[in-house]
Amino acid sequence: MSQKKLSIRIDGELISALEGQTILEAAKANGKYIPTLCALEGLTPVGACRICIVEVSGVGRLLPACTTPIQEGMSVITNSPKLTLYRRISVELLLVERNHVCAVCVSNGHCELQSMATALGISTVRFAYNYPKLPADLSHPRFVLDHNRCILCTRCVRVCAELEGAHVWNITSRGIHARVVSDLNQKWGESASCTNCGKCVQACPTGALAEKGRAVEEMVKKDDSIRSLAHRREVQA
Amino acid sequence: MPTLSSERRNVEEQTFIDGVINRRAGRPGALLSILQAVQDHNPHKYLPLDTLRYIATKTQIPFSRVYSVATFYALFNLDPQGNNTICICRGTACHTRGSRNLLQSVRLELKLGLEDPGDTGDGDKVLQTTPDQKFTVRTVACFGQCAMAPVVEVNHRIRGHVNERTLEREIQTIQKESE
Repeated sequence: MSQKKLSIRIDGELISALEGQTILEAAKANGKYIPTLCALEGLTPVGACRICIVEVSGVGRLLPACTTPIQEGMSVITNSPKLTLYRRISVELLLVERNHVCAVCVSNGHCELQSMATALGISTVRFAYNYPKLPADLSHPRFVLDHNRCILCTRCVRVCAELEGAHVWNITSRGIHARVVSDLNQKWGESASCTNCGKCVQACPTGALAEKGRAVEEMVKKDDSIRSLAHRREVQA
Repeated sequence: MPTLSSERRNVEEQTFIDGVINRRAGRPGALLSILQAVQDHNPHKYLPLDTLRYIATKTQIPFSRVYSVATFYALFNLDPQGNNTICICRGTACHTRGSRNLLQSVRLELKLGLEDPGDTGDGDKVLQTTPDQKFTVRTVACFGQCAMAPVVEVNHRIRGHVNERTLEREIQTIQKESE
């Protein structure tokens, strides 16, 4: 069964993409860059971070590229002053919500949130910081969970549920009370369902999930193994 | 076969949960109605962690998802609730008609204190139970009865145009009845 081909325009350039692809997938397949935070190749998109918003002509509001399927004749703009403005607001609000202190972070220099902020030219934040008092979970023998650095992108939740199949993580509560929890709000080290595979750590865009024994700037994430695993699964299926 | 932990094990409760799960398992969104039925059945209207663990094992839904659903909805309680519930509306209409004072006077009346129970600083979202388990005070965003603002729900009955005196009397009546 061959999939139907659709032609769409991304930033004015005519490209053809497969029906059922999202704007983000079509753009990636054609070498067009759309910034993302919560999307990770191989995982179901959730549209949580709103960094990948794009302008679609004829649509009044901005649409997330990761969850919007392409349509015939669609014309997409991936970069404009308006988009930069809104992306900047999203990142600023993420920075405000928790205690993202780069200088003492294991992921300093390798952090997707940090590089996104740099790319968007954010040097100061206009809003008041929340400074929540959050704990770090050190109970796991190999890994650390630091809520202060979490942006609730749910990549760890999805990679654990979809690729590892253990479903250790989920989000509890909502709004500013939302947190990543393992099992029934147990300590990670006491979780019976955790397989210690470390996929969540590699999928985490910030220093919220990290390997133990790493000093500042030492935690480099390797998410290409997740990508290749997801790809192999797709080929099998 | 998983069972509820020894302390709280209760054959009646376990058969009830099994029945609920058997009737609903497999339907989309079954977890919500299972949790709801089990909470209603509980004498203190809450879901103990043991119960959540048991439901998760029985339905083969991951622990974290059960916990996530149970904490997402304000309907579900993870702590025992008082015998009487006083639910004060903190919506905009009720706020302009002085529902904050109502909330504070109820908390003082029941000697719950005015400190913020959480560390989040939004003192307007309250869920407190008196140590003797008689009263639970909670807030809600809106009952949809704004014309009767300020609105207070006492034991699932809506009271409109409430002031501190009528609410105080209401509490005293309940206290007398329970004596």
